Amino acid sequence: MRRGESLRFGFVIALLVGLQFSVRSRLGDERVAPDFLLLALLTYTIRARPGQSAVAGFIVGLIGDALTPASFGAGALAHTIVGYLSSWAKAVFFAEKLLVNGGLFFAGTWLRNAILVLASGKFSGSQLTWELFVWSPLQGLTTAGAGIVMLVIFRQWVTVRVGES
Amino acid sequence: MALGADRYATRGDTFLFVVTLALSLVAMSLPPGTRDPIASSLRRTVLWPFLQLQSRSEQLRMSRAQFAEVEAQRDSATLAAGELSEVRAENARLRAMLGLGARLGSGFVPAEVLHQATATDRFTVVISAGSKRGVQLLAPVVAPDGLLGFVSTTEAATSVVATWAHPEFRASGMAADGSVYGILEPHGSSGSVWLLELSGVPYRQQVPVGTRILTSGLGGVLPRGIPIGTVVGTAGETEWDRTYLVRPAVPPGSVTHVMVLTSPRTDDLNGAFAPDTGKAEP
Repeated sequence: MRRGESLRFGFVIALLVGLQFSVRSRLGDERVAPDFLLLALLTYTIRARPGQSAVAGFIVGLIGDALTPASFGAGALAHTIVGYLSSWAKAVFFAEKLLVNGGLFFAGTWLRNAILVLASGKFSGSQLTWELFVWSPLQGLTTAGAGIVMLVIFRQWVTVRVGES
Repeated sequence: MALGADRYATRGDTFLFVVTLALSLVAMSLPPGTRDPIASSLRRTVLWPFLQLQSRSEQLRMSRAQFAEVEAQRDSATLAAGELSEVRAENARLRAMLGLGARLGSGFVPAEVLHQATATDRFTVVISAGSKRGVQLLAPVVAPDGLLGFVSTTEAATSVVATWAHPEFRASGMAADGSVYGILEPHGSSGSVWLLELSGVPYRQQVPVGTRILTSGLGGVLPRGIPIGTVVGTAGETEWDRTYLVRPAVPPGSVTHVMVLTSPRTDDLNGAFAPDTGKAEP
């Protein structure tokens, strides 16, 4: 990746991280509002190798765990798995179609939340059902929507070109 | 076009994945005494600028709401502004906060709640006040409607609050008239609504639905008289005692501003909270 491309790609990642800590709290119910930090991770996995994505996922998850110590470690586990699988899935299903990327954003968010609530062991019964089948899909949809908007605006900056990895 | 999974998944990638996975499992199994300092150091270093950004954002949001309030009072377009339900709710919360501060007098620190994206955010929340402002471990954290929880970890600029929804939360509670005492702990879920349990109430003592439950002050951690919630039903009974369900007064997911009580209080705080605090909503 050339220096200019790296800078532009880094700008998009930094923008998403900034949105997470500045704008997200104004986007409605926190269980449904898009997770820009996860979106930054999934965007990073577009260009990164699976191993690098797993490391990035671990770091993002550990940072999230520091802010919600009730589930320390569960976030790192969830983001590591999602980062690795996302990078691997993009190698297999790579496509420039927005909907495919949106689907990966949705699946990544749902899978992250599912692993998190199961690994944290803090949810059970109907609350677990609500988290898995109501709140997580809704957050997946909003995160996928935000991801599609991001790709439409910055597509040339974040998509990978064939022959590059 | 596929790039080819075989080209991506090298041994190095698999090795990194397994290592990070193992580290995650190690992090999960850490005892609180080990993991809390790690989390605390991350908040003080890597996350410090982001928490500052989030804190500034919350302050900006609050300032904008206050500006909207002044404008609305000055202008005859109050009715039009009144349609902005979000602003009205924000104003109501801030007014309630100001009222609580005046009634408490002194010995508290106001703070913003810095909500996070994960589902477990409701068990512990990060607030924008730390030891530099006098916040201490186990300090009670209250909202205008009642108790949110207590400080479980504190550092210079931020603190972590274990809310009443945290599985390890326990508090000594009593009926508002002081006739019944019991132990409060999280009940779990009923649909999407979380409840508390008031256990250990002697069988011969009845607690009617709608009874306000306050902290009793026993145990020395929480002062007496902070509203916790309202009795909504019975959870179970044994030969000797009954357990009642209590609807908490403060929903952790929606609270935006809190006050941390920084000095020990021996007086009854019930008068500092709004008269209708803790009453169940239909």
